[in-house]
Amino acid sequence: MARPTVLVADDDVVFVQSLAAVLRTRYHVRTVANGTEALATVEDDPPDLVILDVMMDHMSEGFDVARALRSNEATALIPIIILTGVDRVYNLRMEVDESWVPADQYFEKPISPVVLMRKVGDLVGPGEAKPDP
Amino acid sequence: MTEPTMTRLQTQVAAGSGTRVRSGSGKNQFSYIFAWELHERLLWFCKLRWLAAAGLALVSVLGPFFSMPLTRPSLAVIAALVAIYNLVFVYVLRVRLGPEKDYAALKGLAILQMVTDLAALLFTVHFTGGCASPVLPFVVFHMAIGTIMIEGRIMYALAFAVSTAAASLFALELTGILAQVPTVSGGQSTVGSCVLSTAMLVVLVFGVVYLTDSVTSRFKARNIELHQTTTELRHALDEQEQLERRKSHYMRISAHQLRSPLGTIKTSIQVLIDGYLDPGSPDGHRLLEGTAARVDSLLDIVNDLLELAKMREGRARAPWAREVSVNQILADIFDTVDPFAREANVELVPDFINEGAAVLDWAVPPDLVYAFENLIHNAIKYSKPEGGTVTVALGIDRTHAMVVIADDGIGIPSDLQDDVFLEFVRAPNAKHARAEGTGLGLSIVREAAQMHGGKVSLESAEGLGTTVTVVLPLHHIPPEIIDR
Repeated sequence: MARPTVLVADDDVVFVQSLAAVLRTRYHVRTVANGTEALATVEDDPPDLVILDVMMDHMSEGFDVARALRSNEATALIPIIILTGVDRVYNLRMEVDESWVPADQYFEKPISPVVLMRKVGDLVGPGEAKPDP
Repeated sequence: MTEPTMTRLQTQVAAGSGTRVRSGSGKNQFSYIFAWELHERLLWFCKLRWLAAAGLALVSVLGPFFSMPLTRPSLAVIAALVAIYNLVFVYVLRVRLGPEKDYAALKGLAILQMVTDLAALLFTVHFTGGCASPVLPFVVFHMAIGTIMIEGRIMYALAFAVSTAAASLFALELTGILAQVPTVSGGQSTVGSCVLSTAMLVVLVFGVVYLTDSVTSRFKARNIELHQTTTELRHALDEQEQLERRKSHYMRISAHQLRSPLGTIKTSIQVLIDGYLDPGSPDGHRLLEGTAARVDSLLDIVNDLLELAKMREGRARAPWAREVSVNQILADIFDTVDPFAREANVELVPDFINEGAAVLDWAVPPDLVYAFENLIHNAIKYSKPEGGTVTVALGIDRTHAMVVIADDGIGIPSDLQDDVFLEFVRAPNAKHARAEGTGLGLSIVREAAQMHGGKVSLESAEGLGTTVTVVLPLHHIPPEIIDR
């Protein structure tokens, strides 16, 4: 079974480095720095999971990408994790209004690698424990 | 630097130096208050008029008991007329003219009511004994009420009209052109008593209008004053609330800006602790370097926040402030930034060498250095990858020094040009340029300019470059320093 692909969209290079180091232990990882690149990458080769920061070039870029993915039939079923430092209120808001930002999980930065891997495992399976080629 | 440019900038500086423009249409508010009051008073007046009509009807019925047989039908007709036109006035006031309607229309209606009432009163005076009529004092009473509602000059005109009409009425009665109606006591008026009555009526009517007008004018002035004070207080309260909201927003944004690198640092450390990367491996080393850079950026943000806070407090009006030469400051900065410019392949053009000395009476040197250094650094930092030119020019006139820093770099998108002086606002093309920045530099520059009594403005075109202009008054000394 091929390793599931995780796309990480975040403009924080150091954070992306950390995340990639964790995810690469079991998944294939691709990284982009903004929403436009994220959408283009998904269109070219849909990943198994998308992890989005919210504030990149624009204030709510991550949310816009999530809505765009869910409104497109071809990408609507790709699981989405929002991983950002914006506001704790978002978590509550997503609980009461699932349609607000269509994501499967909202995490705040900083993120524990264990928690992240557990959630990614829930969404796309455990992956394979071998290094990325 | 051209004269028109300096003049335009001076005008901008002067315009920004204090005149507060009051918003809202105060005049309309006062009109509304007056209209509301007038509407209430006119309705109250209509109630009084019902009483007057009823009184007249009663007198016409009871007339024979007071030896006034001739007046009975005439008073009944007047009572009926008063009741009819009062009905019309009530209808107009309640249905057609509310307080939210035109104040001028209500004023017109008030004058019309006064004229019809005075006409009805003069007819009543005629049918109840002319110049000896017991109804005559009601004319004076009516003028007093009218002056409360209608402005003085119109009431003086009405006083003149009613005096003339009454005098003419009495003259016509005395000459026999109009039949004299007997008084309550049954007697006839004499020339002497009529002249005396007319004179007293004129004095009383004008006197009452004068006194009532002076009291109501003062009352109205106080009313306006009170309303203005209330409006100003409300305005100040709104400003205070806005300030509190801005403060809160600023704190939230600042906290987020601090939390963001902290989140990254914490995650990176956790990744290393959990053994996902070996710190000794090339990837681990790269992550450690990146993490250290984030710590540096965090420190930069904290330092800039402190700098901004100090400037906002006016550095307690800087006891170490002194006379400062802008030329010297710019020359020193050029020495500092020159290596940085060379590295970025940017040519620095000092267009202030031959300019006269721009000496500020009161300045805090480190703050001015920070401001100009920041602007020149930005101009170099956001130059195009292939390099470019940064020109720093100085202009002076009798009152102001103007420093213009122009580059031909990446520019600022038009939709962000108004916001770049706000805290933590960075244009996307600046982020893409991979140039480090806290997003606080321009806020500090603006604060530094304002602290020195000046202002900063910016013109930019994306892809073509940016020109930042700082205008500083030569002789500005903060009021707190003068008062000390």
